[in-house]
Amino acid sequence: MIVRREIEERTGRNISIGAVYATLERLEAKGYVSSFTGEPTPQRGGRAKRLFRVEAAGKRALEVSEQTIRSMTAGLKDRWRTI
Amino acid sequence: MSRSSPPTFACWLLETVVPTPYREAILGDLIEEYALRTESTSRFTASRWFWSQTCRSVPSMVWSSLRSRDCLISIGIAMSVYIVMEILEYAANLTISKWVAPQPTTYVVLAPVVFLTACAIGGCVAARIRRGATKFLALMVMITVAVLIDLKVCTIPVPWWYEFGFLTLGPLAVIITPTLFGRLKQQGAVT
Repeated sequence: MIVRREIEERTGRNISIGAVYATLERLEAKGYVSSFTGEPTPQRGGRAKRLFRVEAAGKRALEVSEQTIRSMTAGLKDRWRTI
Repeated sequence: MSRSSPPTFACWLLETVVPTPYREAILGDLIEEYALRTESTSRFTASRWFWSQTCRSVPSMVWSSLRSRDCLISIGIAMSVYIVMEILEYAANLTISKWVAPQPTTYVVLAPVVFLTACAIGGCVAARIRRGATKFLALMVMITVAVLIDLKVCTIPVPWWYEFGFLTLGPLAVIITPTLFGRLKQQGAVT
C-alpha cells in the first residue's frame, strides 16, 4: 500500500495495486528485492502484510538506472530553450 | 455489509483471480485502504475506488500468473480433472439414456442436472488439489460447450436459452461451488 501511494504521489497517476505487485514479483524473481510476510491485522480483515526489502543487487541496478537517466537527460533543459 | 466492509463480489473476484503468493497481501492492502477511504469520503466513492482497483488489477495479475510456472501446474491439474469429469458425465448420460429415461424429453431435463453436478464436483476436486486450477477448468468447460454448440452435437431441438444455460452455468458451477463449500466449512468451524 505504501509503495503504491508513494508512486501515486510522485507521479500524480492512479496506479493499480495489481500492477505494483506484478512488478515487485518480477523484481523479486531477479533478486533485486526480497519479501516476507508480516502479521495479520484486524484493519486488513485478518490478512497478512507483505513487506519488501531492497537487496544489494537491486541497489546496484538502481544506481546504474539512475546514472543512465542522468546521462540521458543531461543538458536537456538548455536544449529546450532553443527548440 | 458494515460501513468498512468492501464490496463482496469484488473481493471474491480478487480471491479467485489473484495468484496465491500475493492474494493475502493485495486483498489486505485494498481492505485497509478502503476502510481509510470510508472515513474520509462516502462509502459509494470508496466502493467505486475498490472496484476500479479490482478491475485494473485483474489483467496484470492474470498475466503475471500466466508467466509463472505455477500456471502450468494449474493447467495440468485442470486438464486431468476435466478428463475424469467428462468420463463420469459420459457414463452418467449413457446410463440415463439407456436405462433410466430413454425418452428424449426426459433426457433433456436430466442432462443439465448431470452436467452441473459434474461441473460442481470437478470444481471442488480441482480446488482441493490447487485453488488456481478452478479458473482453468471453468475456461475448459466453457470452450468445450461453445464448440459443441457450434458443431450442433445435440440432435434434440432445444431453445437457445437451454444451450446458453450450459455455456454460463457450467463454468459458474466450477468456480462458485468450491467457494460456497469453503464458506460453509468456515461457518461450521466457527459454530
